[in-house]
Amino acid sequence: MAANEMIQVSNLTKKFGKLTVLDNISTAFRAGEVVSIIGPSGGGKSTFLRCLNLLEVPTSGQILFDGINICDKKTDINLHRQKMGMVFQQFNLFENMNVLRNLTAAPIKIKKTPREEAEQNAFRLLDRVGLRDKAASYPSQLSGGQKQRIAIVRALMMEPEVMLFDEPTSALDPEMIGEVLDVMKALAESGMTMIVVTHEMRFAREVSARTLFLEGGHIEEDKPSHQLFENPESPRLISFLKKVL
Amino acid sequence: MTFFTNAWQTLEKYYPFFLEGVENTLIIAFFSVFFGTLLGILMAMARLSNIKPFKWLATAYIEFFRGTPLMVQLMFIFYGLPMIGVTFPDVPFIENFQRFAAGIVAMSLNSCAYVAEVIRSGIQAVDSGQMEAARSLGFKKSQSMMMVVLPQAIRNILPALGNEFVTVIKESSIVSVIGIADLMYRTNGVKAKNYKTLECLFIAAMIYFVMTFVSSRLIALMERRLRRGRK
Ligand SMILES: Nc1ncnc2c1ncn2[C@@H]1O[C@H](COP(=O)(O)OP(=O)(O)OP(=O)(O)O)[C@@H](O)[C@H]1O
Ligand SMILES: [Mg+2]
Repeated sequence: MAANEMIQVSNLTKKFGKLTVLDNISTAFRAGEVVSIIGPSGGGKSTFLRCLNLLEVPTSGQILFDGINICDKKTDINLHRQKMGMVFQQFNLFENMNVLRNLTAAPIKIKKTPREEAEQNAFRLLDRVGLRDKAASYPSQLSGGQKQRIAIVRALMMEPEVMLFDEPTSALDPEMIGEVLDVMKALAESGMTMIVVTHEMRFAREVSARTLFLEGGHIEEDKPSHQLFENPESPRLISFLKKVL
Repeated sequence: MTFFTNAWQTLEKYYPFFLEGVENTLIIAFFSVFFGTLLGILMAMARLSNIKPFKWLATAYIEFFRGTPLMVQLMFIFYGLPMIGVTFPDVPFIENFQRFAAGIVAMSLNSCAYVAEVIRSGIQAVDSGQMEAARSLGFKKSQSMMMVVLPQAIRNILPALGNEFVTVIKESSIVSVIGIADLMYRTNGVKAKNYKTLECLFIAAMIYFVMTFVSSRLIALMERRLRRGRK
């Protein structure tokens, strides 16, 4: 195992009852890498991502994060989740809190960051996504694109080592997709490690250096993005790309 | 018009009886809602817990108490329990304590099952993504519950809980069968004295209606306050 591998997945299997959703998957993610995961609906992309921070418990296999097996019952999963930010398709901003509290709740309660410092950080990040003036708004008062940018900032507030995105633009109106992708692009350029499940082929191709094609619970292809898109090998990937491009 | 005149005269003559009935009805309803809510919260927690035996017991309890008549439960507690040697103590200076205790216990145990369901469905109506987002940031399950899920569930729970309070006021009329001098019991008493059955029932209905109407208005007011406070 190379020293700079941040996440090492070995023989990961996930079953829901009799249905095998992930079938013996092995792969690794290095620090600083931006990886896209593409594939047909129901192929297990979300399940794979959710296994990485144990929102789903793997049926078998091993996930090493910074060398620690997070599937081990003895590891403190709450501690590990702090190091993995997650962004959901449905945003999932806390409806009962305004934007500022959405951002500061976790750092203050979990990391014991002083409120003042947490709020300073929040405003600094809000500036970066152009939403400083929304600090006092409630989620129900924001557009989808604004919600998702806030959700990204909320995850960043915990200063994670890696960011997981599960179709962050799929619930957005077309005119709002760009503003979210821009934020993600800037994040990628800043050196953040990112694993992105996406239907945005342009993002996969242009922003992520590597793309995985996940289908039927298997990684069918795993390559530098330009190769995967220019010279797809497996017939399934070829037919998938024909449909989406 | 003689009907209303008769009703008015009945009320004028016997109003202390009706008043005492109202007082006892409110006492029963208040304590039943109080204990019913406390127990209901615990029961809902057990019902939603990951510990299987708790979950099963709570589910069985809730199903049983919602699936059998309150009348049977009341009779069982007041007449049945003493037969197997379980009695409520007699407390000096409080008249009829045994009856009141049995009435309040039966109503509370019954109401608790409904309150537990109200709380459970209120919590489960909150989008599961809220809990997941909190967990993904590193919050413990209990923290996520307290900070994110419950504050949102309260909005679903309060109106239904208000309904439950109103229901308890109405249902409490059943305790008259074990000799508690609530409004219904007093109504029957007056009826037996002046034989003005229809008038007496009319008075009782009006009083019950005023009680439930005032409570539901008060609850609606509280709800609006709460909502305004949040947004
Ligand atoms: N909690 C669950 N219980 C049972 N089955 C589930 C559960 N979650 C997912 N599945 C099933 O697992 C399979 C993979 O689902 P998953 O959400 O991982 O697919 P996906 O690749 O993310 O698809 P999409 O592009 O539609 O989001 C699907 O058949 C789905 O029905
Ligand atoms: Mg998915």
